[in-house]
Amino acid sequence: MNRITIPIGPQHPALKEPISFLLTVEGERIVESALRIGYVHRGLERIFQNRSYVQNVHVVERICGICSHAHTTAYCQGVEALLGLQIPPRALCLRTLLCELERIHSHLLWLGVLAEHVGFTTIFMYAWRDREIVLDIMEALSGGRVAHAVNVIGGVRIDVDQEQVCLTLARLDELERRIETLLGVIRHERTLQARTRAVGHLSIEQVRSHCVVGPVARASGMDVDLRRDAPYAAYDRLDFRVITAEEGDVWARTMVRVLETVESVGMCRQLLAELPDGPLAAPASRRVPPGQVVSRCEAPRGELVYYIRSDGGDRPARVKVRTPTLMTLATLSDQLRGVNTADVPTVLSGVDLCIACADR
Amino acid sequence: MLRIIHCITSRIVRWARRKSPWVLHFNSGGCNGCDIEIVDTLTPRYDVERLGILKEASPRHADVLLCTGPVTRQSRDRLRRIYEQMPAPRWVVAIGSCSCSGGVFRDGYNVLGGIDQVLPVDVYVPGCPCRPEAIIEGLVLLLEMVE
Amino acid sequence: MNVELILESLRETFSTEPLEPQAVPIDETFVTLPPDCIHAAVQVLVERFDLRHLSAITGEDTGGEIVLLYHFWDGHGLTLRTSLPREDARITTLTDMIPGAVFYEREASEMLGVAFDGHPNPHTLLLPDDWAGEPPLRRQEERQ
Repeated sequence: MNRITIPIGPQHPALKEPISFLLTVEGERIVESALRIGYVHRGLERIFQNRSYVQNVHVVERICGICSHAHTTAYCQGVEALLGLQIPPRALCLRTLLCELERIHSHLLWLGVLAEHVGFTTIFMYAWRDREIVLDIMEALSGGRVAHAVNVIGGVRIDVDQEQVCLTLARLDELERRIETLLGVIRHERTLQARTRAVGHLSIEQVRSHCVVGPVARASGMDVDLRRDAPYAAYDRLDFRVITAEEGDVWARTMVRVLETVESVGMCRQLLAELPDGPLAAPASRRVPPGQVVSRCEAPRGELVYYIRSDGGDRPARVKVRTPTLMTLATLSDQLRGVNTADVPTVLSGVDLCIACADR
Repeated sequence: MLRIIHCITSRIVRWARRKSPWVLHFNSGGCNGCDIEIVDTLTPRYDVERLGILKEASPRHADVLLCTGPVTRQSRDRLRRIYEQMPAPRWVVAIGSCSCSGGVFRDGYNVLGGIDQVLPVDVYVPGCPCRPEAIIEGLVLLLEMVE
Repeated sequence: MNVELILESLRETFSTEPLEPQAVPIDETFVTLPPDCIHAAVQVLVERFDLRHLSAITGEDTGGEIVLLYHFWDGHGLTLRTSLPREDARITTLTDMIPGAVFYEREASEMLGVAFDGHPNPHTLLLPDDWAGEPPLRRQEERQ
């Protein structure tokens, strides 16, 4: 059979972000694929060197709009370690609360996108409608739906009073009921399972050798989660399960993410129920003493790593960001091999690509 | 007689354009914040479909190009090509501070600036990211211009 | 991951190198090695300790030299630090042992002008097709 090469992107209905593929197909099956990223490369690592540490908090939040709080958490954590600051427990809890709310919003967003790509527009609409509850909570807490500007170097900028805690808990109850409904639909809907089972498979060996992280790795059996294995912020106070699956296909990734959302709701409740009193931030000087730090955090898509080096001024000498999607992109050629062209959007959605993160 | 027919058909065409602006969304280098707020406008809370707005897949079916993000070097030619593929009359809405001016990335070595460096922009909707309400207001402003 | 055991093993393998282990926040140990020892060191990590998770490869142009940092993680962080000369920055690829290094090395190569010998696909990753300038993260005179 003849081979045909089909270019897809950077503008394509199946792609939410600019990324370009060259798919070589034989009939309906993909034989090879090549990837071109860099459409969203803004040269952030150079931009960071031209801004002060405080200005960089604003820039770092805009590496990615979906996991913005994870980026500022990892960055602020790193700078705070260089400054040798003790962050007040209330600040750590509020920081963690936003981390988990962001995880819920990111996973619900992803669920809607996956459902739209397999043709299940109803779940897209329901998931994004239910996601509005999380965005309302984040807006009530911080003033922003998508970019929250909660983290500052030294702690957080926001506080919650008892009334806000009660309102948030009530909304979390409503959210949990909606997520249970979505979970019920996903578990029983045979067409969704037929479209996602055995598609985009990655074995645990492939995941290990490509250093894949996050829900994609956990769906292939890797039991790794930085929140449990290298706790940061207030995660050492929380009781939660790390969700893993064995099948390694898009279905497993769906189940891992939706069940993680349920765990995150529980974690938010624990944080709100036991918020310690105290200040919201430790005073931080603008000049950071010379040193280097490697800061890690578990973003919704996996391990986010920041390396920051200071020469003693008020601007960083080097900020290196390694985002979780970068490694998953490298596995796409393995995942797409042998897949039908109709399943390409499913595979691409299944890995929850965030090209803005990967390109920086 | 012909003039009357032409007048009536022009009015109908203008009415149809105002009542069903089909949009194409392209991210030329943004962080996704504005993109998810654009997709949010399609979802039940904001529901722009009641204004006749449909998100189209191909530039050839679209009337309005919603651009987010600053223009990066790699995206520049693709953005121009997408605009050229759209049939006239076509409009461009720059959504978000980055597409208005380059935003926080304006001095990046790979960033050329806002969308107006490459395309003629009709409506600027600032915000970082823009709220869905602002996006809808921008689209309504565009529809008033179309009249 | 037992950092002490790994350090001992590296000391045995590279008995002439000082290693200079340094504790770096947050929960990271930095070890310095010359560039021609990095491939062998990673072989020790992979074969003796099954430490394959390479989180990132950071590169920096400090003015005098190009520093490469290989950040590994398995419960705790271990970073291998090496320095390359600015004029002819070359080092052996790790992709034969850790396929996940493929994108990290491509990025370090285009951003800093480092050549990774043996890399299967040494093309630009993030920079545009028409990039004609110097590697962007190399120090330039006009920056203060």
